[in-house]
Amino acid sequence: MDKISKIEELNSLSRRDFFKKTASVSAVAAAAILSPSSLFADDENIVHHTQWGTTLGNELNENPYGLPSKYEHNVVRRTSSLMSSAGDMHAAVSMTPLHELKGIITPNGLHFTRTHNGIAQIDPNKYRLMIHGLVDKPIVLTLEQLKRYPSESRIHFLECPSNGAGEWKGPQFNSLQFLKGMMSASEWTGVRLKTILDELGLKPTAKWMLAEGSDGSEMGRSVPVEKVLDDAMIVWGQNGEALRPEQGYPVRLLLPGWEANLCVKWLKRLEFSDKPWYAKEETSKYTALTASGRAIQHFYALEVNSVITSPCPERPWSDLIGGELVEIEGLAWSGHGTITNVDISLDGGKNWVEAKLKGLVLPKSWTRFSYMHKYVKEPLLLQSRAVDDSKNVQPTVNQEKAVMGVEGVYHRNSICTWEVTLKGEVNNVQVRSI
Amino acid sequence: MFKLDLYKLITTSVALVLSSTLLYGGSDTSTLPGKYISKMGAVDGGVIYPRKNGTYAAYRYNEQSTKGVNFGRIPTANELKAWDVDIMPDGTGLPEGEGSVSDGDELYEKQCASCHGEFGAGGHGYPTLTGGNQEKLPNGVIKTLTNQRIEPGMEAPKRTIGTYWPKATTLIWYIRDAMPYAHPKSLTNNDIYAITAYLLAQDNIVIDGKKMDSEYVLNKEKLMKIKMPNENGFYPNIDGPDGVENVRKFFSDRAKNIGAGTRCMKDCKDLSATGKEPTIMKIDNEITDVVPPYTTVRDLPPEVENKLVSKAEKMYNDACKLCHSSDKMGAPVIGDIEAWNKVTQKGFDKVVHNAIDGVGGMPPKGGFENFTNSEVQMIVEFMIDSSKKKH
Ligand code: HEC
Ligand code: HEC
Repeated sequence: MDKISKIEELNSLSRRDFFKKTASVSAVAAAAILSPSSLFADDENIVHHTQWGTTLGNELNENPYGLPSKYEHNVVRRTSSLMSSAGDMHAAVSMTPLHELKGIITPNGLHFTRTHNGIAQIDPNKYRLMIHGLVDKPIVLTLEQLKRYPSESRIHFLECPSNGAGEWKGPQFNSLQFLKGMMSASEWTGVRLKTILDELGLKPTAKWMLAEGSDGSEMGRSVPVEKVLDDAMIVWGQNGEALRPEQGYPVRLLLPGWEANLCVKWLKRLEFSDKPWYAKEETSKYTALTASGRAIQHFYALEVNSVITSPCPERPWSDLIGGELVEIEGLAWSGHGTITNVDISLDGGKNWVEAKLKGLVLPKSWTRFSYMHKYVKEPLLLQSRAVDDSKNVQPTVNQEKAVMGVEGVYHRNSICTWEVTLKGEVNNVQVRSI
Repeated sequence: MFKLDLYKLITTSVALVLSSTLLYGGSDTSTLPGKYISKMGAVDGGVIYPRKNGTYAAYRYNEQSTKGVNFGRIPTANELKAWDVDIMPDGTGLPEGEGSVSDGDELYEKQCASCHGEFGAGGHGYPTLTGGNQEKLPNGVIKTLTNQRIEPGMEAPKRTIGTYWPKATTLIWYIRDAMPYAHPKSLTNNDIYAITAYLLAQDNIVIDGKKMDSEYVLNKEKLMKIKMPNENGFYPNIDGPDGVENVRKFFSDRAKNIGAGTRCMKDCKDLSATGKEPTIMKIDNEITDVVPPYTTVRDLPPEVENKLVSKAEKMYNDACKLCHSSDKMGAPVIGDIEAWNKVTQKGFDKVVHNAIDGVGGMPPKGGFENFTNSEVQMIVEFMIDSSKKKH
C-alpha cells in the first residue's frame, strides 16, 4: 500500500548502508577490476578488430549537408491518419520523437509539424513582409532587409494546443511520441518586433495585431499588442540555420509560450487595429468548448506541464533486473514563465517527492528534471507535476476536468501517468474518476 | 494553501529590486537556477520579465540604442490594396459581389461536396460544415454544445457553422482565402457569396427575420445583418475598449477559469467534482495506426530502390493522390487490385474518358483543367499499373 515510503526507505537504507551491505559485492567488483573475469563469455565486439577500424572511412565531405548515422533511421517524426482529415497529409500533424531526444533542443528535422494546407515552398527572393494599419509609417521588407535588423536568439518551446487532445476522454496512444509529441524546442533567431515597431510609430489606439501567413490556408490570428511589445519576435533562424519549410521558411512569428498556431508560419503581413479579427482559427478552431456549452476564445499561453521521458512506453525498464539505480528523467515547460519545481510520484499521485532541475532553466522553454530511483521489480504509477514562477501547479486529470470538461480539445496540461508493470513494461494510463 | 518558501524568497527579492535602484543580479535570486526577476499580471496570466541593465531573464541583450535602425520602404497604394484584404466582423474588407443559394448549390456540388459531403453534412472524413441542433437552453446556450462524452454512447457536441461559428464574416474570409482546398483563392467574389449563401441556408440562418430560399441572393449588406446562432457562445468578451482587460482578468483567475493543481506532497486526495475516488483508466482500444510504425531499433535501413519518379507519378502525386490514396471519398484507391479490376472492366478508353470528363465524385481531370487529355491518359495508365498484382 504505502509503496512510496517503502521505496524511500529502501533508497535511504541502501545509501546509508552502502558500504556495509555491499561489502561482499564490492569485493567481487574490486577483484573484477584487478584481474580479468572468467565469469563472462567474451564479447566478440571486443576481441575482433571492428569492421570500421580496418577500412578507410567515407570521404569527409561526402554529405555537404550532414546527415544522422544511417543506424538512426528510426528516429523520425511519426503521424497517424487520425491526426488529419480523411488521412490527407496536407492538413495534418506529425509528432516529435520525444523518447529519442536529449537536452532542451529539438533537431530541426524532428520538429513537430502542423500544416493546414500543406508545406508552402517559398522563394526567399520573392518573399515580402508588410507591416501596416495603426502605425505612423507602414513598411514592406524583403528578406534581406528584415535580416539587417539587430537580431536576438532565444530558446523557446513551441507546442500545438492540441497536444494530447486525443486523451481528454481517456488514454489512446501507448507512446510518449503520440501523447506529447506535438511540441519541440529550438533556439530561434530573429528580430524583436518591438525593435521594428519603435521606428514605425505604433498608434496608441492599436490594441490588436493580425498575423497572416502566405500559405494556401492564409492562416490568420489576432494577437494583443501587449504581447507583441513584450517578447514577440519575427524569426528566420532555427538552431543556427534557416527555418525549415515545415516551420515556416523563410519567416514566422514567434510568441514565446503561446499556442504554436499563433506563431504564424510563412508570415506575410502584420496589421494593427483597435479590434480583433475573428479568423477561422480563433473561432471554429482553437477555441475550447467547456461543459457550460460556451467556449474559451483567445486561449494564449500553454499552461505549466511536464512528462517523464525515461522511462516511457518506447523506453521501458524491461531490461532491468531490479536493484539498479536509474534516472527518472523528463521535460517540464510552461508558457506562463519559468519552471521552478517538479515533483515525482511513484504511487499515482498519493505521495510526492521533489525532483531536481538540471541544465539550463529558461523562461518559456523546456526544462529537464531528474530523480534517481532505486529500481525494485514491482508495479509503479509514475507521475510528474511541474510548478512555474507564475504560481501555476500542474493539475490532476480530475482537477482539469472539473473546470474544462472533456470536449475542449485544446490546452490539455493535466498530469500524465506511466504504469510500470512487474516486468518493467511502461503503459500510458490515467488516474481519474469516471 | 501550500506555499513554497522559494516563492516568498522570490517575491521579496523582486520587491527589493523593483523598489530600489539595485542592479539586477544583486539579489539572492541570481544564485538559484531558473529564478529570474519577473512581474505578474501579463495578459495571458503569466509573468513578464523586465529588460534591465542588459539582462533579460537568463539572457544578456544588446543595450545599445536601436533608434534609427530603419530598412524597407513604405508600401504603395496598390500593394496595400493587394494584401490588405482581411475581413472583420464590422464588415471592413467584405468584397463587393453577390450570389444566390441555387448558384451556390451548383458550385458547392462541383467544388466542395467531394470532401465536405452533400449539403455540407460531412461523411468523407473532412470537416463537417453544416447541421447540428441549434436549440437553445433558457440561458441562451446551444443545448448540444453542453454534451460531454464522459460515458460511452454519449453524443459529441457538434461544432458546425450553424451551431458554433460566431461570425458570418469569417466564412466569407476563409472560403475566399483557403478553399477549395487544392486550389485556394480560385473563386470569384460572386462564387464566394453564392457558396456562403448556400451553406448558411443549409443551417437555416435568418436574414431580416426570414430564412433564405433557393432564390435568395446574398451580398455584403445582407451578410452584415446576420447574427449567428452561437454569437454569444464565447468568453471572455474580447470586443470593445475593455477587450484586452477582460482577457487579463480571465487569465488572472486560472484556478477558477482554466483549472489548476495544488502542491500536496503527502497522502493526497484527488476526488472528482462529484466526490468520486480516482481509479486507473487503461487504454481501451489502442490506436496503432502510426506512420512510420513504432520502433526504436538501431539497424541498417532497408535498401530502397533507386527508382526515378516518372512524370506520370509526379502528376498523380500533385493532382490525384489527395483523393485516390484513401477510399474516404469513394475513389478507387491506388494499389487496391480489386477496386481497379472493377474499374478496368469498363474498358480502358471508357475509364480514361471518365477521368477526363468526370464521373460521380471524380471531378473532370481531377480539377486540373490545364492537363491535356494525353497527360490524363498517362496518369490513368500509371494508376492502373500501380494497382496490378506484383510478379
Ligand atoms: C480536397 C478536399 C476539400 C475540398 C474539395 C474543399 N475543402 Fe474545405 N476543408 C478541407 C480541409 C482539409 C479543411 C480543414 C483545413 C484545416 O485543417 O485547417 C477544410 C475546411 C473548410 C472549412 C472550415 C471548417 C471548420 O470546421 O473549421 C470550410 C468552411 C470549408 N472547408 C469550406 C469549403 C468550401 C466552401 C469548399 C468548396 C469551394 C471546400 N471547402 C472544398 C478540405 C476540402
Ligand atoms: C476530389 C477528389 C478526386 C480527385 C482530385 C481525383 N479523383 Fe479520380 N475519382 C474520384 C472519385 C470519388 C472516383 C470514383 C467515381 C465514381 O465511380 O463515382 C474517382 C474515379 C477515378 C477513376 C475511375 C473512373 C471509372 O471509370 O471508374 C479514374 C481513372 C480516376 N478517378 C483518375 C483520376 C486522375 C487521373 C486524377 C488526377 C488527374 C484524379 N482521378 C483525381 C475522386 C477524385
